[in-house]
Amino acid sequence: MALPLVPYHIKRLARMTDFHGYLLPLSFSSILEEAKAVREAAGLFDISHMGHFLVKGPGARQAINRLITSDLEAVPLGKSLYGLLPNDSGGTVDDLILASSGEEDVHIIVNAGNREEDFAWIRSHLPPSLALLDLSIGQIALALQGPASQRIVSLLSRGFETMGRREVRFSIDSSERIWVSRTGYTGEDGWEFFGPAEAILPIYRTLSEKGPDLGLVQAGLGARDLLRLEMGYPLYGQELTPEKTAFDAGLDFAVNLRKASFLGKEQMLEKMEDPERERLTGFVLTERGIPRTHCPVIDPSTGRQVGEVTSGGHSPRVGGGFGLAYTDPSFFKDFLKGKEAGIEIHGKIHRARFSSRPFVPGGLTKK
Amino acid sequence: MSSERRYTPTHEWIQSLGDPSLMRIGITDFAQKEITDVVFVELPKIGKKVPQGAEAAIIESVKAAFSIYAPMGGEVVAVNSAIESNPALVNSDPYGAGWIFELRVDDPAQWNSLLDEKGYQALLVSGTGGGH
Repeated sequence: MALPLVPYHIKRLARMTDFHGYLLPLSFSSILEEAKAVREAAGLFDISHMGHFLVKGPGARQAINRLITSDLEAVPLGKSLYGLLPNDSGGTVDDLILASSGEEDVHIIVNAGNREEDFAWIRSHLPPSLALLDLSIGQIALALQGPASQRIVSLLSRGFETMGRREVRFSIDSSERIWVSRTGYTGEDGWEFFGPAEAILPIYRTLSEKGPDLGLVQAGLGARDLLRLEMGYPLYGQELTPEKTAFDAGLDFAVNLRKASFLGKEQMLEKMEDPERERLTGFVLTERGIPRTHCPVIDPSTGRQVGEVTSGGHSPRVGGGFGLAYTDPSFFKDFLKGKEAGIEIHGKIHRARFSSRPFVPGGLTKK
Repeated sequence: MSSERRYTPTHEWIQSLGDPSLMRIGITDFAQKEITDVVFVELPKIGKKVPQGAEAAIIESVKAAFSIYAPMGGEVVAVNSAIESNPALVNSDPYGAGWIFELRVDDPAQWNSLLDEKGYQALLVSGTGGGH
């Protein structure tokens, strides 16, 4: 599917790639250079493939709150919230960012690959009195990320630089049904913009033209994936699946068990009691190699497979190969205590040790 | 080196070092762009015998791992240790400082099975290249 900014990326000679049926920039110059720029200055990502829904009507906040793991009603209007959408067996339909623009209006940002499924799931669980709108068709969405973002966003002269962390605004001039938030997926300060092409294109133009003077580079999906993995953030389809719960993925912070019950809660708690459930862990290789998705995790003392890599990569900031893997609970326990793991890459075992997440300090986690 | 460079459909290049049985091998500019940032290269052992078309090295980039196939059969007589400490040379100078290994070839006639410059460029235009 062709997204509105594709001609601009092609003009910049971006290396394009297919992502869930969308043609998107993989990188403009070098994945490593783009990732470095985001950690040190700023990067601009085209995220137009992501979904933006609006739920409208009386009781919208309450109705959505019954479907998600975190507590939307406890969050003030205009503030964003991370949460998971469990399925009826306690696994995960998607992970989401939500915010209410009013008592009767809830905006939801969803993953590209799940957009249609999320829409169908949410629609089927909402009362008919509520409207669910998919605002994504024809939209442009951008992520401006990096420590220089605040200076760069002030180039837009719209006062966005005064927004607080996780604050969301829902209009630009006369354009409504917009999402502008001080959020991101890289661990750095930054802003995300969603809206109709005519509202966001001027923002893209201003940032692309004037941003480079303040260190802004265009960045692609390669850098985006590396940056999120450095922070240990999950990616739906890899760490999160219809079988895995927020607890399996170590996302306990995104589950509020004290709020009014939500769909899938009982099943999630049941799954949590399963003594065999696999647990997500971070690891770093202690020798040269790059782990990739589906590489087996081996217990060196038995030679038995005890897990599988869900995401892997190489980062100069981490100091080599690193990644996330689901492992058997008994091995997980030993691994946390310092036991070595073997990661099988091209038929060879590479030694790895446990690493806490984030793997590197992002701008937002630095003390 | 001024001698002719030949290519494979899997985007390796091969060039004689003067002695027609001694060949240097690397990946093409097209391949390095496709592979993106090379992070390291698993070089073959010196003395290893590789048949034509067999996997001789592995290039790991930020994006994925790529096999490098021997354009001609022979024995590995040298490897470029400079790319072990500076793998980015494969991206910045794929035909020069970013070479990968050298072979003492078994059968010089295999040269005739390789693509010349024109043939390789035609392959890139038609987009039928495989491998990487």
